[in-house]
Amino acid sequence: MRPPWMRIVLLASMVALPILLEAQAADPPKPPMDVYTLKNFLPTAPPSPLPASSVPDLSGDWALGLGGIGQSLSAADPAGRMRGKEPDIPYQPWALEYTMKQFPPTGPDAAFERTTDPNIHTCEPLGLGRIYMYPAKTKFVQTPAVVYILHELGPAFRIVWLNARHPEDPDPQYWGHSIGWYENGDTLVVDTVGVNDRSWLDQLGHPHTERLHFIERYKKTDANTLSLDMTVDDPGAYTAPWPGKRNFTKSATGFMRYMWVCSVRDNYEHYDKVGKSGNPGATSFK
Amino acid sequence: MKSKLFILAAVVVVLSASVAVLAHHGGNLYDTTKATELKPATITKFEWGTPHNQIYFDVKNAKGEMQHWVGSTEPAGVMLERGWTRRSLKEGDLVTVFIFAAKNGATVGNIQKIIMADGKELTTSGPPAGGAAREGGAGRGN
Repeated sequence: MRPPWMRIVLLASMVALPILLEAQAADPPKPPMDVYTLKNFLPTAPPSPLPASSVPDLSGDWALGLGGIGQSLSAADPAGRMRGKEPDIPYQPWALEYTMKQFPPTGPDAAFERTTDPNIHTCEPLGLGRIYMYPAKTKFVQTPAVVYILHELGPAFRIVWLNARHPEDPDPQYWGHSIGWYENGDTLVVDTVGVNDRSWLDQLGHPHTERLHFIERYKKTDANTLSLDMTVDDPGAYTAPWPGKRNFTKSATGFMRYMWVCSVRDNYEHYDKVGKSGNPGATSFK
Repeated sequence: MKSKLFILAAVVVVLSASVAVLAHHGGNLYDTTKATELKPATITKFEWGTPHNQIYFDVKNAKGEMQHWVGSTEPAGVMLERGWTRRSLKEGDLVTVFIFAAKNGATVGNIQKIIMADGKELTTSGPPAGGAAREGGAGRGN
């Protein structure tokens, strides 16, 4: 004679096992690479439950400057000397071909007079990643529901919805749709999808598609230093996620003391005054 | 030996940083291995702005011919960090200019340093004049 508790365990197992097996079988396979989906390599939803965290103080004017700007988003090649051969960028063939066809406006492979840079020619917004390739300042305005990221370059601003979810089918736009949360009392995580494919990720012309899922981790390392780890998660252009890194330091010269407005006229005039005569054989910008 | 290696490593680090910062729009067209000294130079125009400041100046070459130069620096916002203002230079100032000049002999380049008549130096690179340093902080990242 079995004790009553054993009967209960057996009965529970008979009910639970098929449910568990069914759940496993119903787990959808990863979508093929040619199918549009926002479910990329990495999850696009906030962690559940959200990590308990105090709110880091991100106030101040955060400057990218000497040694911190670089040319490429590649963490292994920030100076842009290995365009197309970066050890940490897993290109899809078309993305490699696209990158190598571009004429960067700056960096070791610069060809300013022939550049294909959409920002130089038409002041297209710089977009995710590339906004941090310039020596300009960024400011965070933290509220309980939203973090506003302000860039004096552009100028541009982004809205990060705290502890929210992405819409199911966001309209692709320049800066996408961003959600965020805090971790460890020192980090703001920003998760972005719904980005159009019109911007470059950096000065070298690394492309992305509308399937881009871009993750930023802003970590306060001390009172005057902020480190940023970025992850490019784009199954439309790359075969795996890849990293980027930048560092900020606090500046006391004032945010927006000199707003960096993109002006096609200024871009072209700068080239005419300084760039053209230094370019052997160059006669005109366009 | 160790100290020589250290100096070599320091030179490499400084040069790498310089290239990364100064490579904007044709750094590969300028000779970044040495700064050319031009004096006495007369400032003819100082354009303060973005994407770069432009500094126009006249200086005689070795043959005594007057040449018109234009050099650039990082944009105004960055030069504020390094202690410059839009009033740092004015037309008629007599200065000494150190510049990474174009390899092809054109009278253009990237300004490295300007020494004013009173000996005051304006440098275009290096640690910020204010910012973290003034707050007792950790200085530049990377």
